[in-house]
Amino acid sequence: MSIDKSKIRNFCIIAHIDHGKSTLADRLMEKTGQVSERDMEDQLLDSMDLERERGITIKLTPVRMFYKAKDGNEYIYNLIDTPGHVDFTYEVSRSLKACEGAILIVDASQGVQAQTLANAYLAIDNDLEIMPVINKIDLPSANPDEAAAEIEDILGVDASDAPRISAKSGLNVEEVLESVITKIPPPKGDDSAPLKALIFDSYYDNFKGVICFVRIVDGTVKVGTRIKTFMSDKQFDVTEVGIFSPKMTPKDSLSAGEVGYIAASIKSIEDTAVGDTITEAQNPAKEPLPGYKKALPMVFSGVFPLDGSKFNDLKDALLKLKLNDAALSIEPDNSAALGFGFRCGFLGLLHMDVIQERIEREFDLEIITTAPSVSYKVYKTDGAVLTVENPTHLPPTTEIDYMEEPIIFAAIFTPPEYVGPIMELCQKKRGVYKDMVYLDKTRVQLKYELPLNEIIYDFFDSLKSRTKGYASFDYEPKGYAKSDLVKLDMLLNGEICDALSIIVHKDKAYERGRQIAERLKEVIPRQMFEIPVQAAVGGKVIARETVKAFRKDVLAKCYGGDVTRKKKLLEKQKEGKKKMRSIGTVEIPSEAFIEILKTDNDN
Amino acid sequence: MAGIYVHIPFCKSKCTYCDFASFPKEIGKTESYFACLYRETEGRGKALKNKVFDTIYFGGGTPSIVPAKFIAGEIRQIKKFFNLAKNPEITIELNPGTVDSEKIKAYKSVGINRFSIGLQTGYDDQLKELNRIHTAKDFLTTCNLLKGENISADILIGLKNQTAEQVKKTIDLALAGGVKHISMYALTPEVGTPIYTDYLNGELLSDDEVADIYDAARSYLAEKGIYRYEVSNFAAHGFESRHNYNYWQRGEYIGLGVSASSFIDGRRFTNTFNLNEYMNAVIYNKTPEISNEEISGDDAEFEFIMLSLRTEKGMDVEKFNKEFSADFKTKYAAAVKKNEKYTEFIGNYFRIKDEYLYVQNSIVTDFLR
Repeated sequence: MSIDKSKIRNFCIIAHIDHGKSTLADRLMEKTGQVSERDMEDQLLDSMDLERERGITIKLTPVRMFYKAKDGNEYIYNLIDTPGHVDFTYEVSRSLKACEGAILIVDASQGVQAQTLANAYLAIDNDLEIMPVINKIDLPSANPDEAAAEIEDILGVDASDAPRISAKSGLNVEEVLESVITKIPPPKGDDSAPLKALIFDSYYDNFKGVICFVRIVDGTVKVGTRIKTFMSDKQFDVTEVGIFSPKMTPKDSLSAGEVGYIAASIKSIEDTAVGDTITEAQNPAKEPLPGYKKALPMVFSGVFPLDGSKFNDLKDALLKLKLNDAALSIEPDNSAALGFGFRCGFLGLLHMDVIQERIEREFDLEIITTAPSVSYKVYKTDGAVLTVENPTHLPPTTEIDYMEEPIIFAAIFTPPEYVGPIMELCQKKRGVYKDMVYLDKTRVQLKYELPLNEIIYDFFDSLKSRTKGYASFDYEPKGYAKSDLVKLDMLLNGEICDALSIIVHKDKAYERGRQIAERLKEVIPRQMFEIPVQAAVGGKVIARETVKAFRKDVLAKCYGGDVTRKKKLLEKQKEGKKKMRSIGTVEIPSEAFIEILKTDNDN
Repeated sequence: MAGIYVHIPFCKSKCTYCDFASFPKEIGKTESYFACLYRETEGRGKALKNKVFDTIYFGGGTPSIVPAKFIAGEIRQIKKFFNLAKNPEITIELNPGTVDSEKIKAYKSVGINRFSIGLQTGYDDQLKELNRIHTAKDFLTTCNLLKGENISADILIGLKNQTAEQVKKTIDLALAGGVKHISMYALTPEVGTPIYTDYLNGELLSDDEVADIYDAARSYLAEKGIYRYEVSNFAAHGFESRHNYNYWQRGEYIGLGVSASSFIDGRRFTNTFNLNEYMNAVIYNKTPEISNEEISGDDAEFEFIMLSLRTEKGMDVEKFNKEFSADFKTKYAAAVKKNEKYTEFIGNYFRIKDEYLYVQNSIVTDFLR
């Protein structure tokens, strides 16, 4: 039995952060009876604790809804949620591929924002129909007419009949449901053609193996179908297919135009790469669907277990996370200071933060993360070219002819009054000015080329603080450029601590060295002896601080009634010590390695 | 040998740093408290017949605030039910302004031979701020009454705005009073005491400032022939406190009275801190103990190390090996090695070097297993 494709609508919701994406998604589910108001935990789609706490969406969660329209027909709506942060652009592009249209939410008081634009352009690039919705019209500062005008001016999308709603109160949400029918086209596709299913996400289930989230483009898949992917030669028998409502619900089959999941006892995520196409083993499609943009890690950092004996637990945790996260890259790493661990690649700092927190929460592991780095190209004097993501692996200066660093192309959106401070910031970060466009009288777009290693630390925070939070930015990689880079080493008590080394531009070395030394002085507790903290480039010390030896570390009284209590105090003190890592004779709190990042405070 | 500690939970007013069991408002219960104390003494004494005790220590509170007859009664009771060694050291804590010549005479007549005076500081404004009831002059008056006796004085360092010079002057005052033993404690802000608020507000001296004062006072005391024999205790040769030294040797002791702690036959136990609860338990023949645990294995060894490393002399390695049927140097080789810069073996003793005694916590914790 095949479903009438004209009654299917596959769409996503895109919006700037806080414009109400998750709230509208919740309201749509509620109005279509997918979930009762009572059952709703706030913002159902953000299923991870972390997502709910941070108000961001990281993982994609598709939901199938049934909508009884005014024309008397029942429609199937597949809503595919999209993450809303610049780090996750790749995930957005994956979910867009599974849709025919996108609901674009614009806040009636804030109008079109940076992320609105970025996501809308992504959707347009993916040939999606854009259906604008103006949200938060119940706010006192709401100006829906101006928001509509902005959508037309900036995006060139007709917003004359855009539903004007309050997702929060539910006002006019019905209009959204109705508009979907006319504004968003039904899927095309041929049920009888050879199977073509796009994997747009996947997740590992301990019992069922890899669960692939798919959009069926052509053909039909059911339990027992022998499948294979284009990237791998392995074949699997489908054990379950189903839909999300919003929990996974098994079905007999999925056919062209539908969105759902496939399980086939697949043991390794490598066999079902996100972006790959699933087809039938016996009757394969001639060619795969156009692949997704491959996610490229931009930021690299060492991840080590606090307790060296937990290396295998950390490995398991990272592998499990990788099952769900195609953008995470992992390779073994070994540090003289921190022992065995991993060098992980992330999309950006937020992504790194999220992974770190998930390891700690979901796997109950304490970890040490080292200062993030980017991927450098090293041209050696002997003609060899190396890619270096770990400062420790940088060859000796004498063997280096020259180096290149990754450059990004940044688009910064800001009200005009902050152009000055932003230019100053970009200048400071070695940015090269490219362009400035007045989008309208209240919004300017600045374009800069910036070295990636200047923005991975705190560029975003600095930008926000210089513009009272008004500016936002997007970036995309723009290749490599020759740069005068040096390795900055930190010495503790005269010994280099490899986990604290970073690669910096020569002109920044002194300043950063001084800042990191100062910061380390603050985070390293006083110990039995004086600890010199030095920053050095090529063996030459460029900055020095001193952690003084402590003078008093004793329990004043210890008589008959004090013994047990004192012993407990000392045990606690010892526990504190365990949270430290010994680098030579110096004990460093685990957070020190990441704390040194916070030196970039330029305010 | 073992010690007996007797807790007297009464005082005239609570000092701002005090977190001991002392109840200024309950002084009316003196008589009934001692009735209970005598009863507990009888019971404990009978149960410990096989042990010999050679020190008695009356602590508080302010033991000198109650009439001397109660103290005398307790000593009689101890002599009656405990097996006391010859020439026991019997100490009483007293505060200036709570004793007269009659009281001293009474103390001496029952064998009290060591007097520990709570001087704290020689500056009246500082005494007032600490809510002490006496003045520097009162201290000298008390010392006069005790002429020729074995006197100790407690002094505090780390008071608000205190200078090393002031501490030296305080030491001068103590020495002028004939003191041969000084306990010098760094003020420790315990949660719940008024001084803790000062600590939270950053009004107390920093650790570095306290350490400066400590170092200055330590060398000043040494100049005067008063030597450190434990982190906070200093004495002329031969005037060390036997009772307290026993604690640092991990010797046995029985604690009598509210909040008193004991260590007997490898068990540590502590009486309730609640006065009424204590009296009730004793009256109804129930145990006043609120905790009682056996300390064995590595815990026992650690106690031995932790306590003995507080002393100038250090830990008797042979005694350790015998007591725990272990070899200290082998078993703790890693911790010893790690701290070789800060410690030394002298003859049979393992000790923390002079200059590191005041930063010993991180050394000692390396011996925790």
